[in-house]
Amino acid sequence: MLEKNYLWRVYWQLAGVIMVCVVIALAVVSYFSHRVFDQELVPETEQKAATEGASLRALVLKATSYGIPFDDLYGVDKTFEEMFSENPEFSYAGITNTEGTLLYHYGREPQGALVHFHSPALLAAMRDATVPWEVALVGSQYMVSMPIVGVSGPLGVLHIGIDSVFVDRVLLEVLLDVLVVLVVSLFFTLELLNFMAGARLASGLGEFGQQVDRMRSGDFTARARVRAHDEIGRLLRRIDAAVDHLNVRYEFLAGELQDKLRGASAARREALRPAAAALEAVGKRFQFGSSPKGVDLDEMNLNRIRAPLFAFIIAEELTRSYLPSYVNDLLVTVPGISPQVVIGLPIMLFMLIVALGQPYLGSWSERVGRRKAMLIGAGTATVGFVATALAYNLIDLLLWRSLCALGYAMVFVAAQGYVLDRTGQANRAQGFALFIGAIMVATVCGPSIGGILADNLGFRAAFGVSAAMSFLSILAILRLPATDVRTPEARPSRGPRMREVMALVVNRRFMTLTGLAAMPAKIILTGVCFYLVPLYIVSLGNTSSMAGRMLMVYAVMMVLIVPLSARLSDASLRRDRYVSVGLIISGLSGLLLLLSDSILVLFGVVFLLGLGQALSIAAQSALVAEHCQEEIRVYGHDAVYGVYRLLERLGNALGPLLASLLVVFWGYQGAFVSLSALVLFCGIAFTVATRGERWQGVTALR
Amino acid sequence: MGTIRVRFITVALVVSFFAIGMAAFLNYFKYKSTIGGIVKSRVLVVGRSIENSVQASLALGLQFTELATLPSQMRREMSSDRLIRGIDVFDDTGRILYSTEAARLGQHVERAWTEAAASAKSTEWTGQAPGAYVAGISLKNNFDLTVGYLALRYSRGYVDRAAAAAARQITIAALGAFAGIALVAPLALIVVIRRFERDLQTLENAAVHLEDRAAQPPLTGSAFDTIIGHLRASLRDANAALDDVRAKLDSAG
Repeated sequence: MLEKNYLWRVYWQLAGVIMVCVVIALAVVSYFSHRVFDQELVPETEQKAATEGASLRALVLKATSYGIPFDDLYGVDKTFEEMFSENPEFSYAGITNTEGTLLYHYGREPQGALVHFHSPALLAAMRDATVPWEVALVGSQYMVSMPIVGVSGPLGVLHIGIDSVFVDRVLLEVLLDVLVVLVVSLFFTLELLNFMAGARLASGLGEFGQQVDRMRSGDFTARARVRAHDEIGRLLRRIDAAVDHLNVRYEFLAGELQDKLRGASAARREALRPAAAALEAVGKRFQFGSSPKGVDLDEMNLNRIRAPLFAFIIAEELTRSYLPSYVNDLLVTVPGISPQVVIGLPIMLFMLIVALGQPYLGSWSERVGRRKAMLIGAGTATVGFVATALAYNLIDLLLWRSLCALGYAMVFVAAQGYVLDRTGQANRAQGFALFIGAIMVATVCGPSIGGILADNLGFRAAFGVSAAMSFLSILAILRLPATDVRTPEARPSRGPRMREVMALVVNRRFMTLTGLAAMPAKIILTGVCFYLVPLYIVSLGNTSSMAGRMLMVYAVMMVLIVPLSARLSDASLRRDRYVSVGLIISGLSGLLLLLSDSILVLFGVVFLLGLGQALSIAAQSALVAEHCQEEIRVYGHDAVYGVYRLLERLGNALGPLLASLLVVFWGYQGAFVSLSALVLFCGIAFTVATRGERWQGVTALR
Repeated sequence: MGTIRVRFITVALVVSFFAIGMAAFLNYFKYKSTIGGIVKSRVLVVGRSIENSVQASLALGLQFTELATLPSQMRREMSSDRLIRGIDVFDDTGRILYSTEAARLGQHVERAWTEAAASAKSTEWTGQAPGAYVAGISLKNNFDLTVGYLALRYSRGYVDRAAAAAARQITIAALGAFAGIALVAPLALIVVIRRFERDLQTLENAAVHLEDRAAQPPLTGSAFDTIIGHLRASLRDANAALDDVRAKLDSAG
């Protein structure tokens, strides 16, 4: 049969070529942009140096007008130092007398400066008070020189050096963003390849493979399908035609035999017996006729969910890196609550609505139809995003974010249901890989691009982009099939009942997994990534783009490590060890900030957190089925997993609240450290709790 | 050209457009914010000079409302930089106490200025006026108490013109890069997907001759050879079985 990764190999080759082209194009754009920056910014900076110089010269002239000798001025170095602190692009300043002898200087002297200062042409020009300033490239600096002329005549020359690489420093920030664009482009390419070509190709080739499988097993039943007008569609039409011809032949032969048998004499019947036996054998060996109209499990419709889901999730992910800063801008005083806690409120509220809403929205989406539920959800969120962009203050922002949360929960649950409806036992894992893949790619692309948009367009316009993406998802949802389908094994879903919740939260085995692993993992995720990182980075004087880059590191770790850790933990059957190690690594992440508060250390924090979460996340939910079989037998699979997900998502809501309270008492670094310490404690407790014989016994039975 | 090839090329163009567009967007906004920052800090140098003068007068015990030499100094400082359109000094209610334009005296500045000045985390703040940007400084006395605000209105057109010129050049570079990609990417993609297309072609050829009883096209070593073999065998078996029925029917007469 077809090699499993055949199409992915093709995708990667195509993505590689596209990436090479994109890199070359970005290099071209960057090169020309650098030239523009050089051409335009250097003269502006020279002008600025001249203005600074004029101000400094006025001070010098004021001092000399009081009779202080020009070569014995006090505090010139200090003045230079102040000027440098406000103008980081200046790298040298000096004052010479009319002979070019250096009297005062500060900063890094460029090579050849003394020669330049003694240059007769410069000294001659600088004796004229009407000359505003002159510029020359000295070593690696643009040297702005201006005459100092008092009432008694020329006194000397003021020189200010501008580092010629300051444009490079300005462009470094852009370069980092361009790198982010490159990574996003790679994921975007794979997503688009899948959306524009791959989904149809994969489903076409998949269907082709299934058709051949059916034919090999003797099933030649005709299936009424609309085929696409492309290469695969043409191929499938030809096979359909061949199958149809076989069916016609069979029907014709069967009809002819019946005709001949009808009213035939005994001798004639005897002569026809071999043909009848052969036809009967054909009927037993092969299946002809029309295929029974079964459940529509075709992969094309399943794959269609990916585009709207990606567009919708990225709308929310775009806001991750700057939402806390936006809330900070709209902050109003809430009596009795610290501003830090108030900043966390919209995130907490969002997570709470999603946590509480999801169990019940599942059955709602079943009733109204998945497509309609997604449309209502995406519409609600779009309104929420538009209103968030126009928010007046924190109070109305909370309402608009609640709309976004409600829409998010609706779309998430309905999309999940859509996948469940179209997958059976055989392809459910594949369906969820598609679902999770769309979300993961959105988490890689969203925060980083969102940070860039917020920095350059402003928070409100960035929310406008989220609204546009959410609206775009509506257009993609409209392309989904209007009729719902359900597999025979699908059961109506329901939210967990209170008695089930109460029974499970006091169940030791269940709470060991949920309380010591799932909830702490979510608390540190939302507390650190959604609340602390964006705020802490901005508090250090960095931009939302930097926060986005950090969150991107987390997401990339998840994308790279989760499939690997899922495979390894499944193979080893020691999922509890993966959860333990993951929690402990997550717990150690924030402790790094005890060493230093630098951005590099913060990068390490996010890296370790991503690694830890990626190691534990896949194994966690599988452990529920592994260790809570008794609970699943009593309460049912849906109830146990429903309560597990509910508590896990409540952890999402608790994260920002806990983090904000910790910031109030111990500041940002303290909050990072204490939140991590909590998870470290949970990780160690989980490790100890899962080492007992009773626990191991369950694993052994498995 | 096959539809799959067209789709792959479209993907390449869409992604390139996104990446180049984002790069151009980033460079433009970085340029705009940098040039804006440079011009603002240049204007603030003039402002600092006025601020120092106000603080010196306050230190001598003069009232903030009685700085007689301030208007002339403001006019002098304004003339030192052609970018500066006007300078105002106003109190915390927004009422203009001193200005380089006599007509503005006693009027109130825009509310956004006082709000920006009050909410600024340092002594510097920014605002906007019709046709101008505003760079501001909060004026403090020796006790670090804010006594008023200094606003320097400077040419918006200057910054916008510089940004527009840069935007033009960056756009030209971006369009050039995109044009280059639009030429190169399809060719590069065609080279890469040739094998895939050949495999598909083999498959399609096999499908075209699926019902031919004569010799079928030979397998070409494509990724689909095995599946084509299975397909042919299945059809051959079914046809053979039906042929057998046909023969038996015919022989029965």
